[in-house]
Amino acid sequence: MPDPTPMEIPMTQVACTVNGEAFTRDVPVDSPLLEFLRDVLGLTGTKGACLEGECGSCTVLVDGETINSCLMLAAQANNRSITTIEGLASGAELDVIQDSFVATGAAQCGYCTPGLIMSARALLNDRPDISETELLTALEGNICRCTGYASIIEAVKRAHRESQSS
Amino acid sequence: MIQQVTTTESDKAQDAPIAPPDHLVGKSCRRIDGKEKVTGTALYGADLFPNSAELFASVVRSQHAHANITAIDTTKALEVAGVLGVYTHADVGGTNIHGLIRRDHPALASKRVRYLGDAIAVVVAKTERAAKLGRDRVEVSYEPLPVIATMEQAIADGACKLYPEGNVMGDKRIRKGDVELALANSHVVVTDTFFTQTVDHAFLDIEAGTGHWDGQVLTLYVAGQWVHEERRLIALALGLPVEQIRIIQPVTGGAFGGREDISIQIYLGLAALKHQGKTIALRYTRSESMRARHKRHALKIESTFGAKADGTLTAARIVVHSDEGAYASTGIAVMRKAASHATGPYRVPNVEVDVYGVHTNNNPTGAMRGFGACQMAIAYEGMMDRIARALNMDREAFRRKNLIQSGDTVTTGQHVDPVSIGHCLSKAIAKFKERPYPGNDKLPDYMRRGWGMSAICFGLGYGDGFPDCSRARVEMNDDGTATVYTGGVEVGQGLLNTMMQIAGEDLGLPMEHMRIVAADTELTDESGSSSATRQTYFTGNAVRMAASELREQVLDIAGIKLKVHPHEITLQQGWAFETAKPDNRVSIQQICTEGLTRGYSLKATALFKPRTITEVPQTGQSPRAFITYLFGAHVSQVLVNMETGEVKVERHIAAHDVGKAVNPQSVEGQIVGGVAQGLGMALMEEVTYKDGRIMNPGLTDYIIPTIKDLPPVEAIIVEHDDPGGPFGAHGVGEPPLIGAVPAILSAIYDATGKAPCELPMNPERTWRLINDVRENDPLSKVF
Ligand code: FES
Ligand code: FES
Repeated sequence: MPDPTPMEIPMTQVACTVNGEAFTRDVPVDSPLLEFLRDVLGLTGTKGACLEGECGSCTVLVDGETINSCLMLAAQANNRSITTIEGLASGAELDVIQDSFVATGAAQCGYCTPGLIMSARALLNDRPDISETELLTALEGNICRCTGYASIIEAVKRAHRESQSS
Repeated sequence: MIQQVTTTESDKAQDAPIAPPDHLVGKSCRRIDGKEKVTGTALYGADLFPNSAELFASVVRSQHAHANITAIDTTKALEVAGVLGVYTHADVGGTNIHGLIRRDHPALASKRVRYLGDAIAVVVAKTERAAKLGRDRVEVSYEPLPVIATMEQAIADGACKLYPEGNVMGDKRIRKGDVELALANSHVVVTDTFFTQTVDHAFLDIEAGTGHWDGQVLTLYVAGQWVHEERRLIALALGLPVEQIRIIQPVTGGAFGGREDISIQIYLGLAALKHQGKTIALRYTRSESMRARHKRHALKIESTFGAKADGTLTAARIVVHSDEGAYASTGIAVMRKAASHATGPYRVPNVEVDVYGVHTNNNPTGAMRGFGACQMAIAYEGMMDRIARALNMDREAFRRKNLIQSGDTVTTGQHVDPVSIGHCLSKAIAKFKERPYPGNDKLPDYMRRGWGMSAICFGLGYGDGFPDCSRARVEMNDDGTATVYTGGVEVGQGLLNTMMQIAGEDLGLPMEHMRIVAADTELTDESGSSSATRQTYFTGNAVRMAASELREQVLDIAGIKLKVHPHEITLQQGWAFETAKPDNRVSIQQICTEGLTRGYSLKATALFKPRTITEVPQTGQSPRAFITYLFGAHVSQVLVNMETGEVKVERHIAAHDVGKAVNPQSVEGQIVGGVAQGLGMALMEEVTYKDGRIMNPGLTDYIIPTIKDLPPVEAIIVEHDDPGGPFGAHGVGEPPLIGAVPAILSAIYDATGKAPCELPMNPERTWRLINDVRENDPLSKVF
């Protein structure tokens, strides 16, 4: 069965900060944040792979917390601050997690990568010390079909080590 | 897809010492596409929309798994505000059919639908919302036909026929020796039937892309696995000359065989042709992707093996029924692969195999990692465990007694040399024994631990006489860098790095001086498909051949400049120097500038086309069915909850002979990733159908492994130079998945004492196995 598609959707206004920049836009009331970021703002680094909250590809930080942007409405982002994968690197310099993902080969097809990096960023922001279980729990909501996760775990541990030592 | 690294010229100073040699082959160079992937700047199909989409398309699909179409009414759809056009079969200019081996799949159905994913019309609108609304308003009238939901129904007397020829799509045989006699003379004869399930590729990057027709060229940005073949299929279906179609592969989020069949290309092409000058965008949702796409074949494998009292295998009789779904897809290749891998890496003198492909109204089934070879490994490895037990022999010793050795023949009668399966098995077992096996002693009553193993082989490429080949071109640029041009597609496996490292090794260039252009039908020559674990071997060889020729050109010019014979020159780190007198040197950049000024081409192309020999139809025998064989062995340790049926993989070891690991990190990534998909197939993944309808078309109900489902996989890279491979490499893509599933099942058998024969072994099936409750047993009513 095709998904039923309603004809007319009322619009609402969203004012939010994305990667430090303020935006005000009209969006359909049923539009998910993912669609707003990608299709309205053109920030296509955030991916959608299931659109039902199962894969974590669409993970972004809203006021520092990870959320699945396919499940949150754009309207709910009003007055909130959002960080996407595009907001991590400063200029040409990669965030330590990004660099670690390249170093360990954790990005194969790379489709899960932005979501995983955002989940890892939230984890490392929170904790100076992380246990193996905390690490796995933080990344449990992010599915990767390519790597078998070993290189991802290695990347996050490497990033953690490097940020501790710097 | 164009990848490049900017060159810094500072390292070219004439007086700087030449850096020590840096062998790119065998080095884990950082992935060339890594940076764009971790920063979110890599553009996958749907990422092209914000900058280019002008119109949107949506696809109308069948409401019935099997029906005749009596009318298609587009009136109401055309009344939707924003809808610009609705196109049906009548609007398609060419044959309107596709199919990689048989052209049997209508792009837009006209008279008949055979599965729920069949497309009937394409709606084009100004917005995606309007396109979907239009899609929902297209009225199709049907005359329903009986739905053939299972293979049993398909071959039952009087079954409704999907095709005039009937429901059996084809068959494939192996006949070797005298099975009847050998079984009669065997000490033990063991029989069992295995049921493998329908599996979805579940790559994360849902089908999405754009199409544009400027009146001359139809440009499609769509991810596939073999852009040049896709171009031919699209051309036929749409009635355009091949030269008027250009396919450019966007960055691609996984494939695993799931992008081999045509997906959105023809719909986008049709829409673009009708709206000249506009860029059309089309993307599926996850459920549309799962409902439309082909799947891995579900197989029923009836196996009988005989052995002597000392454990020597005598004979195998194997009958396979394969659910082909509604269309042929690559099913015929899968059937061939299944037959030729029916007895795996074991010496079995008498073999009879019959594989039947059966059409149903389920999704078409086709390529997926390990195609055919993967399902057969579940059966032959399952049989090895059963026979060892029947003979009261150690599982490893029994396998070793029967594993082929260099020069022995496999099922097809092909002599294989070198054979490294024994070595792989030793490596895997040794690794397993490095840590003490905890056994069952400290476990509560309801928990059981077990371990198991597998030994598998894989004939690389399509084989069987298929004219498989790869072309490549390598060019020097005037800044001293080199560019590799290949039609091969990067889907995440690491093809770009592999090809750049192979060429860079020959040219003595550092990775920073290498560039690559891949998978653009306008700019690159055909390199065959990214499947059958063939790219490293096939395209790798073509790249190596082209790079070697280019190396000669560079050496010739260097010889003139350095006034020495080219044999006395070393190419290293972007320099050419006299081997005995390194100060007599010239930079590759100077060679290029000068060479190009003087009119040298400084480019070379190569074709790699090794021949295989078609199997004799009556016997399936061929002296060279496959170009080369790959081997791997796994050991898995599981913990089973005997009350709930839950299985946890505690350890998994995978040893694979890859010939030579061009990029060890990529190879390891392929091994661990293959094990993860194997674990999914062994324990959780299953597409379930009810009367042709997929009941779990999303990642909520189609369960794939998460980070917590995987143990730390111990990957062992075994390297035995393949005499025919580039730098001895042959490839790794599929074998890790093939080896993983039977090793996990073997461990479950060891833990529970019951031999699994159905997949996946999810908690319910494992519980049934432990409690001897078959699915159609009256006791099953307890659920
Ligand atoms: S796309 Fe949001 S969780 Fe999968
Ligand atoms: S790298 Fe492909 S899904 Fe994770």
